[in-house]
Amino acid sequence: MMEGIFAGVITAFTMYNILMVAVGCFAGTFIGMLPGLGPISAIALMIPITYGMEPSSGLILIAGVYYGAIFGGSTSSILINAPGVAGTVASSFDGYPMAKNGQAGKALAIAAYSSFTGGTIAAVFLLFAAPALANVSLSFQSSDYFALMVLGLTAVAAFAGKGKFLKAAIMTIFGLMLATVGTDSDSGIPRFTFGRLDLIDGISFLLLAMAAFALSEAMMNILENKKQSKQELDALKKDIGSLKITRAEVKEMAPTVGRSSVLGFFVGVLPGAGATIASFLAYGMERSIANAKDKLNFGKGSIKGLAAPESANNAACSGSFVPLLTLGIPGSGTTAIILGALISYGIQPGPTMYVDNPALFWSVIISMYIGNVVLLVLNLPLIPYIARLLTIPKQLLLPLIIFFSLIGVYLVTFNNFDIYMMTMFAVVALFLRIIDFPMAPMILGFILGGMMEDNLRRALTISDGSFAFLWERPITLTILIITVILLLMPVISEFIANRKKGQEA
Amino acid sequence: MTKNAIGALFFLAFSSFYFFNVFSIKKMPGSQFEVMTASTFPYYIGIFGIVVSLLILILSFVKKDKDFLSMDYVKSLDFKTTIYFVLAMLFYGFTIRTLGFIISTIIFLFIGFILLKERNIKRILLISCSVSIGFYLLLNNVLGVYIDPGMLYEYFIGDQS
Repeated sequence: MMEGIFAGVITAFTMYNILMVAVGCFAGTFIGMLPGLGPISAIALMIPITYGMEPSSGLILIAGVYYGAIFGGSTSSILINAPGVAGTVASSFDGYPMAKNGQAGKALAIAAYSSFTGGTIAAVFLLFAAPALANVSLSFQSSDYFALMVLGLTAVAAFAGKGKFLKAAIMTIFGLMLATVGTDSDSGIPRFTFGRLDLIDGISFLLLAMAAFALSEAMMNILENKKQSKQELDALKKDIGSLKITRAEVKEMAPTVGRSSVLGFFVGVLPGAGATIASFLAYGMERSIANAKDKLNFGKGSIKGLAAPESANNAACSGSFVPLLTLGIPGSGTTAIILGALISYGIQPGPTMYVDNPALFWSVIISMYIGNVVLLVLNLPLIPYIARLLTIPKQLLLPLIIFFSLIGVYLVTFNNFDIYMMTMFAVVALFLRIIDFPMAPMILGFILGGMMEDNLRRALTISDGSFAFLWERPITLTILIITVILLLMPVISEFIANRKKGQEA
Repeated sequence: MTKNAIGALFFLAFSSFYFFNVFSIKKMPGSQFEVMTASTFPYYIGIFGIVVSLLILILSFVKKDKDFLSMDYVKSLDFKTTIYFVLAMLFYGFTIRTLGFIISTIIFLFIGFILLKERNIKRILLISCSVSIGFYLLLNNVLGVYIDPGMLYEYFIGDQS
């Protein structure tokens, strides 16, 4: 393990890779700030650039973009109450009131320090959790992997929110359906290609991700024709005030940050949970354990109310890398995109990556830490200037985002059919956004679809065509029992809620 | 109609179309002896898709879902500009090979800015040309990504490769 860590340190600390982290954090912060464009869009937009790089440098850049986008989302939450992503919504509860009270600088500094601490604690946890889980997962067989993927997809639907379970489920199935387009990897038989050669290799994950996120979000902006209010523009141009926080404030938020980081990390590890749930849980936890005086302050500019979701969402980002790096199974839309990028570099994440590519494995973990330092040292002082970029009129920004999305995909294949297909998917995504169907489960289903089919085939072949593999191995059975519990969770919670209502009546 | 019902109908149609097409996937000789063929996985996904979309549809009526797609919201949407933008994107896809990267990008960005009601022509031309030429030079000279100059360029200047 030590050899791997040293190799990772050497790889991560090359000048080029440090530069990549910095560039990633900076680009991620800017893209993440733009309303609606979250980490998934930011990463999708940057992937084409990473194709010419070493896998480690590409992944380091992507990790930087991920952190930067979360931080950028927090910045727009705090300054203009317009969270770029769901994961930073909770930050606006107390961050925006602080900014309105003329403490925008302080709020941004608290967000940055909390994110840094959350990321650092989570990186230390990751250092121990990832190898441990990788060692355990070395004993996993195809049936266990198949069950894990079913669990991952179910969890995404189960954690989608009240009343959204079936919507997330159908989007996952939609992703699985799109994954089957192209040549079957086992038999070489084309499926759903309708005689078109352009579809023989299937749909590119980058194309789908870019269409479903960056492109459709930009088009949603055009469709809704939302103009930035004068109030928002003024808030961005206004002096943000001092970035300093006092010793008393540090003392006040330290326990909150510690608790929320640990919570955030473990929530992040869970498939399907991620930064959004982590930040809301941390906010809720802090509010419920606060004393009566502090409780009144929540929602009006409480330091604890800002520090909790900020540390939790950053820790959750690191946590979400655990299942990705050790099992090769993404737990969220963002890690699904990263998995897609890894596969396109020719790397299969999972326990074998830990054994075969220790330098890459550890360099990513170490670069996460560097990313946190970069965010604190470089991005925080630059925030007033980066925020000014948000004042660029939308009529100039949107065509450029659409152009970069289209060209990013075109440059990979040089096939103009990809532009047509992307436009078509973007229109479908736009329609689904209007009727509130979530996009992240689709991309997760798409990425896992091929792997799921391969593992199912292998498991069925080993068990001679019998589905008994589902209950014969204890690991598979345990994972499937958890899946069933998750599946039943919405029904059980609704039953409990109805019973409570009945008792009250 | 509720948002869930609209979505359910869309996915019901898509899943049915998908399921119907599963039967046109070719089979290898002797595939009846295989535990899993190219159509096994799509077959089950197709069924799941139909079942889940039917469930959403039925539940939206049984539960008296009130999340309607508001007509006020639909009327507030700028469909005209969006449709023009979609056409501009398709046009970009069509012209990128014929007109070449630089010219087609300039045209696409120019149309995009105009559609979004940017009226400063100098600014439009400056951004369209600088982004297009700058990105072309960056790709070709720095990142080492060669972009096809386009059929039109080859027709007039000749293939220089």
